Amino acid sequence: MRPDPAILADLDELDRALAGEPSPWNDLVTEVRAERQRMDPAFAARLEAMVDEARVAPRRPRWLVWSPAAGVAAAVIVAVVLVQQGGQTPQLQKPPTSTPAAAQGGSAKSVPAPTDQAAPERSLATPGAVAPAQARKIERTTSLALSTARGDVQDVADNVVTTTQRFGGIVDSSQMSTSDTEASATFALRIPTARLDEAVAALSKLAHVSSLSQGSTDITGSFVSVEARLRDARAERRALLKALAKATTTTEIDAIKLRLRDNRSQIALLKGELNALRRRANLARVDVTIAGNGHASSGGGTWTPGDAARDALRVLEVAAGVILIGLAASVPLAIVLAGAGLGARTTRRRRREAALRV
Amino acid sequence: MALPATPDAVSSFEALYRSCGADVYAYVASLLRDRAAAEDVTAQAFERALRKRRSFDRARGSERAWLFGIARNAALDELRRRSRTASLLTDPPDEAVAADDPDADRRATVRAALASLEPRDRDLVALKFHAGLSNAEIAKVLGVSESATAMRLHRAVTKLREACHAS
Repeated sequence: MRPDPAILADLDELDRALAGEPSPWNDLVTEVRAERQRMDPAFAARLEAMVDEARVAPRRPRWLVWSPAAGVAAAVIVAVVLVQQGGQTPQLQKPPTSTPAAAQGGSAKSVPAPTDQAAPERSLATPGAVAPAQARKIERTTSLALSTARGDVQDVADNVVTTTQRFGGIVDSSQMSTSDTEASATFALRIPTARLDEAVAALSKLAHVSSLSQGSTDITGSFVSVEARLRDARAERRALLKALAKATTTTEIDAIKLRLRDNRSQIALLKGELNALRRRANLARVDVTIAGNGHASSGGGTWTPGDAARDALRVLEVAAGVILIGLAASVPLAIVLAGAGLGARTTRRRRREAALRV
Repeated sequence: MALPATPDAVSSFEALYRSCGADVYAYVASLLRDRAAAEDVTAQAFERALRKRRSFDRARGSERAWLFGIARNAALDELRRRSRTASLLTDPPDEAVAADDPDADRRATVRAALASLEPRDRDLVALKFHAGLSNAEIAKVLGVSESATAMRLHRAVTKLREACHAS
């Protein structure tokens, strides 16, 4: 609301009087100004000294004092993040996972990396029933989990097949699935035991290794047992053939022929069992799973500049995410704090003004 | 005491002190009516102003209004503190001087008229007569509109004039 013009005119007159010009207010201005308190010279000198001190000793702003420490802290944080990102190289990330408990007479051992594998014989429990002269039959199994970008799953799968063939192995079974968001492939491979370590090392280089576990089972006992039963069956066959040659009656001949038929079936069965055991000992089973999740890179044997770029991008993504979350959390907090600050300011102002109502 | 960072800020502050130091003291003294307290509060006001030098925004008013705002807050804080601890103390009139002064009666009348004013009116009179602020600057100091300041100021000086004439 605009004040009354008379009031404004009166105030203009007051301003004229304060400026030393003729005005009806001149007397009052002079009299009130005569009541004006003047600074004590000693106090004036003290105040002047305070202002002089400000001129002589300007202090560095606080942020300048703290900036080196803040810089060091930021560098440490960045270094820690980079080390953690760099630490996701295949060699460092391979968890030494144990296989499930080995079958009877066998043992399982976790293996940290293909190159560090112990010879199978070293990891075996000795089955007591086996003759010392018998060469041990060891069944080895490996489970390898690879991860790569979703779009690279097909290439990695092709390379798994090629690598398997290169080491004289075969693909027992394979399965591949893709969707809009993810892709995966699983392989059951058989690789000559003699070249298993070499093959696993090659397979590990095809993509980022998420996990690797290896185990071995001693099947010598089963092998020896089947071999002995086969020997017995063959001896029985020989004896039956001799008995057949000596048989004179039809009843006797028929009975021996029946037993020979059973013996033949038993021999065939035992031969099959023996071959299966040989196959288990000679061809190691390797289960490979490939997960396409869009994070890991293909060809993860070494930390390449490409990996570094991807890791750097990931660091930036994480940092942006953290900032975004921080902002999201701080906006309501800032609103609350601003409201509280405004309220506190208003209250302080009211309390101050209340001092004039005393 | 925190000090301004740049020499420019210091020299500008020094200029402000030279132009307003005496006025700030006069204003604070008339508000508190206690010389010792006025000295403390004046020093405190300049110290605060020096510390908050960077927060001054010319777009929000003159440097002078900003400084008097700080001084006023410091003085009101002192008044509040005193109201909590003791009754308001005032300097006794200088009787020796009064006896030799031919205008002593008139001055006593004006002093009594000033004392009879409500503190809020005395605050306005001090800002106008002792601090020499314009109405716009007073409005900034008080945090009210210029028209409200004009009406309140007019009411205060009218009361003062009437009190002087009544005595």
